[in-house]
Amino acid sequence: MLSGDEEAFTALYRRRQGPVYRFALQMTGNVVIAEDVTQEVFMALLSKTAKFDPARGSLASFLYGIARNLVLRRIEKTAEIEDYAGPEDILDDLTRRETIEGVRRAVLSLPPVYREAVVLCDINDTSYEEAARALDCPIGTVRSRLNRGRSMLAQKLAVRSSV
Amino acid sequence: MNELLRALAESDREKEAPPEVEIRLKAAFRRKYKRRMWPYFAAAAMAAGMASFFVRVPKLQTMEIAVVTPPAPILRVAKAAPRKVVHRKQPQEVVTEFYPLMEDPPPFERGELLRVSLPAAAMRSVGVPVSEDRLAETVQADVLVGQEGLARAIRFVNTSVNRP
Repeated sequence: MLSGDEEAFTALYRRRQGPVYRFALQMTGNVVIAEDVTQEVFMALLSKTAKFDPARGSLASFLYGIARNLVLRRIEKTAEIEDYAGPEDILDDLTRRETIEGVRRAVLSLPPVYREAVVLCDINDTSYEEAARALDCPIGTVRSRLNRGRSMLAQKLAVRSSV
Repeated sequence: MNELLRALAESDREKEAPPEVEIRLKAAFRRKYKRRMWPYFAAAAMAAGMASFFVRVPKLQTMEIAVVTPPAPILRVAKAAPRKVVHRKQPQEVVTEFYPLMEDPPPFERGELLRVSLPAAAMRSVGVPVSEDRLAETVQADVLVGQEGLARAIRFVNTSVNRP
């Protein structure tokens, strides 16, 4: 890819774009932002290829790291993302599809620091080690954020089951 | 709660970025590497020019020498069999109309047409019907990239073979 091999770049993109897109989508709940973030991640990879150091972590965590910075920037400065803070309107319907959308809204209602830990580790099966690299923090911090995120999520979902 | 998160992960498993993202990235990739390659071409052209200069100079200093050419030997040449004309199959391209990729594009000044390979799902994204079982196949397409570097329109290419 460094030598301008378009096929290598295409292969890399096709293999890696799915997890990046899903991470951005689950973090923002917005397909347009998820699409933009995915594009910007690979544009950044094109311009920063030399900065990726395999000794410091996997390509997946490197890509998640770029995506995470872009997502947080979008969350901070845009109103495109709805505020899902109110737990009372989560999961009103019992159908599976709406249940899933309710869980999605509950995840989206978490503060970003807990949300990213839940999205990476619980939804996308990223290891603690990889998540720590992507989130640029120690593994212990990932664990504690994950615990806090899970308990907040459990509370929100419990409100639903008690309604 | 784990089950609910698993269900969410399962429902998102197939979600991917739309094909337009791949088109835009490929266009960016080509622009980047096209720009990076021109200094090499320029250097190669300069080296070729210098080489031809240095090769020519000694020729000016050489002395004239007489060359005696021996008489050509007489050879019998068998009559060549008439050549069989082979009609090769010429590939012919059939292209669709251009489908716009931007809703309200800025005025077109200049651009370039890039030939790319894409999953057939890209055809669906612009409204061309594709059957489910062929979505993963690769199709050729020409992407019109405007002066601002954005993909403006796309047309799909079918390369068939002309029978003689």
